[in-house]
Amino acid sequence: MSKHAITLKVNGASYDLVVASNKTLLEVLRDQLNMPETKYGCGTGECGACSVLVEGDVAINSCLTLAATMDGREITTAAGLQQNGELHPVQQAFIDHSAVQCGYCTPGMVVKGVSLLAKNPNPTEQEIREGLEGSICRCTGYVKIVEAVDAAGKAMAVAAD
Amino acid sequence: MQRARRWQWQRIEGIQMSEFKTIGKNEQRVDIRSKVLGTAVYAADVNLPDMLHGKVVRCYEHAHARVVSLDLSAAAAVPGVVKVLGPKDVTSKAFNKSVIDLMASESTAQMLGDIEEQHIFTDHVKFYGDGIAGIIATSEEAAEQAAALVAVEYEPLPVYLTPEASAAPDAVQFTDQKPGNLAFSLPDGMFPGGQLGWGEVDQAFEGADLVIEDTFYTPKQKQCQMEPNSYVALYDDEGRLNCWMSSQMPKLVHEKLARLFEMPMSQVKVTQTVVGGGFGARLGMVMEPEVCAMALAVPGRPVKLQQPREEDWLTSPSRHPSRYWMKLGFKKDGTPAACDARSTNFKGGYYLDGSALASTTGFWLQGMYRFDTLRYKGDSYFTNQPVCGAFRGYGNPQTNFVLEQMIDRGCAELNIDPLEWRKKWHKQVGDMSWLNATPYTSCALDECLDQGAEAIGWAEKRAKYASQTGTKRRGIGVSVGNHTSGAFPMILEQTTCTVRLNEDASATVLVACSEIGQGSHTTLRQIAAETLGLPLDDVRLDAGDSDANGFDIGAHASRTLYVGGTAVMKACEDAREQLFARAAKLLQTSIDELDIDENKQIFVKDSPDRFVSAAKICRDGSFNFANPQTGELEGEPGQIQAYVSYKPDNNSPPFFSTFVEVEVDTETGEVDVLELVSSHDIGRAIHPAICEGQMEGGAQQGLGMALMEEIYFDDNGHVTNNSFTDYKMLGASDMPKMTNILVENPDPYGPFGAKSVGEAGLVTPVGATANAIFQATGIQFTQGPITPEKILQAIKEKGLSYT
Repeated sequence: MSKHAITLKVNGASYDLVVASNKTLLEVLRDQLNMPETKYGCGTGECGACSVLVEGDVAINSCLTLAATMDGREITTAAGLQQNGELHPVQQAFIDHSAVQCGYCTPGMVVKGVSLLAKNPNPTEQEIREGLEGSICRCTGYVKIVEAVDAAGKAMAVAAD
Repeated sequence: MQRARRWQWQRIEGIQMSEFKTIGKNEQRVDIRSKVLGTAVYAADVNLPDMLHGKVVRCYEHAHARVVSLDLSAAAAVPGVVKVLGPKDVTSKAFNKSVIDLMASESTAQMLGDIEEQHIFTDHVKFYGDGIAGIIATSEEAAEQAAALVAVEYEPLPVYLTPEASAAPDAVQFTDQKPGNLAFSLPDGMFPGGQLGWGEVDQAFEGADLVIEDTFYTPKQKQCQMEPNSYVALYDDEGRLNCWMSSQMPKLVHEKLARLFEMPMSQVKVTQTVVGGGFGARLGMVMEPEVCAMALAVPGRPVKLQQPREEDWLTSPSRHPSRYWMKLGFKKDGTPAACDARSTNFKGGYYLDGSALASTTGFWLQGMYRFDTLRYKGDSYFTNQPVCGAFRGYGNPQTNFVLEQMIDRGCAELNIDPLEWRKKWHKQVGDMSWLNATPYTSCALDECLDQGAEAIGWAEKRAKYASQTGTKRRGIGVSVGNHTSGAFPMILEQTTCTVRLNEDASATVLVACSEIGQGSHTTLRQIAAETLGLPLDDVRLDAGDSDANGFDIGAHASRTLYVGGTAVMKACEDAREQLFARAAKLLQTSIDELDIDENKQIFVKDSPDRFVSAAKICRDGSFNFANPQTGELEGEPGQIQAYVSYKPDNNSPPFFSTFVEVEVDTETGEVDVLELVSSHDIGRAIHPAICEGQMEGGAQQGLGMALMEEIYFDDNGHVTNNSFTDYKMLGASDMPKMTNILVENPDPYGPFGAKSVGEAGLVTPVGATANAIFQATGIQFTQGPITPEKILQAIKEKGLSYT
């Protein structure tokens, strides 16, 4: 297996890494960088548990992304959304709305929420639901997750004013 | 029992809702901050130094075969492979991965016919993906490479995918302990005649004005908990076997592992990590025996076993598929004269909890309505399919799909409103509950139905949809159910709890109750804080550690809040009494005169200026210094600690209803669920958002069972959809508008009046959806799930009503 020297910026820190051609971003984050907040759910891009942000606000499935293709890119995981001990408004809204049960989909859901609000700061309920497609939650029926993303959008709009 | 009841009533009536400090409030979940950050540690996140990786070699060539020869030499030669294991390299002891057999006495288990017939690695492959060998290597890649080089010669055997096929006289036997491949049928010794029920059923049918019967099929549904099963095991330098895992029932798994590897329980340590969903898939052991066998083969080195989703799918138990026959007899006025039913379950390749499912399916049936007479028989046959076990509802959704459709068919024939029929004939307080052994203690089903009907607009919509034209047809359906709060009096119930007051009067509650995402650690903490009178932040639960925690059964049977909550409450009452007794001495008053405020000052209720700090009492208890002047000891000696081992002698089933409105596209067969309203009589909502969360998530799974979820097989028994790509569930944009109503009607036995809510949410959406489709199309669908293909086919064969 050929190897690639890449530089990956994750949550603000820069890492010079040598990665095998077949290693996914998910594997590199979890196994090489010891960042377990990005979860393996299916490995086939169906469940969204492995979602991370590229360049701040675009959510991708890290299980479908070869790490070698991410040279020079900036990655943000759920843990990296916290700034100076302050949770991201989406994370805070998940807490306020009890939008978490087993929590395994949560880091990916939070990342999805951040991404969809970046694209559409004032989404309708239907737009939130469609924006969350590709992320599976088996615990909540999505009710409180949708409420949380909606509330986060509103909170962020107020903060931006 | 009577004393406990009176005491409980006094407690509930004595404290008004507004007096509660934390009960009934949506407190922040104890685990939520680490979960939104992703820092919560699940089993796959456990990494230890010098860790090896395990891989189970699985048979994907056949669903039924004998291993004639197994050659591991090429696998062993792969660089990085540390050890290869065949059936002879691990314990030959037979075991049962389920834990249900531990919950009945030995004689009862014998009567039920529980068996142990599983092995770590098998030479008789019984389902697609059965495990035949193990590899331990320094990397996952090396283990996978080696697994591909294992040379196996198989003798293919006939594949049995139905009970009828495996019951054939010449069929290959799955185990010599179960002749005819009959894994289970209701034992005569326990259920006379091998049946449940009451009355002269055959006679009652003769006197009935309307008799209807049909045979249904309920699908093999997968739990799809988001976290695939992962493990780390270590046989450490002191000779202890350690296992980090995510079973729902860590203490029973603890005992099972000790038995299997013939070690004292004190030499086995089980650590339950954060659990990424359960729904029954982790009720007993899944891959714990395999990973521990691997660890024992490489002493001193940890072994990690991570299963890809596709493999987890095949190795963790699913819902039992069932063939379910039912016959009902009614009088003209709707009186339910007779119910006769039989469920035959597809057991899969191994016995597991074989005795339980076919029984409980009938329990839910006999628990629901006041039939004059009822007879139920249930059995299970081995099939060459991945194992079946627990899945949220445990037979209840199956019964709901069948019974509730049959009730609606009867009502349609008799021209009776199905909502009114249910209100008239559902069981009530005092009627015998699901085991037909103890009476229902509380029931607010009528209120559930009234509130639900109002919220969805039942009367108007039901009338409006009675005659329709056009290609898109709407329908509205209702379904009712009840479930259980714990396993009493069926099988074992017990929870131990130790409460320790720290030196600052904060509390540590040691209890092994499982947090599997449902929120139990948050609600148990609320119960502890309320009972102790301490601020929430001063109470911490310590769970998941088999060294620290005493016995508990784990998360099943919707028991954790009802049984575990009562155990926590009782232990906390004891601790509070000990604390108040010391305060009463200091304040020269009696315990009854005291209360505690938010600053943990214990004061005399009638003269609040007389108070003492709880922290001082606790600190003095532990430190107990002698006063240098007087030489007297400060305070009463000893740290305050309370312990209970609580075994309930009651059960308070929750009642619930669901209304579903659908639109069926009669040209494509697609069902659009427009709205769902569920109302649950939960007794008391300790944490309303957590209760709603159970109902909301349950609805997603119930709608899925009704409409789309089923594991499929080809003729060779190969599973064709063991992935999220091919097995579809409802996503965020597929979910209907949902209203979930909590009906609070405090139960005399539950902690603070609470009953269970965990499993129930899945049950009634199943029947309500089927009944809504019935109204929309005039067709009943007996073969679940009700997919567009089946709808189109039925419309083609039967035509649409109201055209």
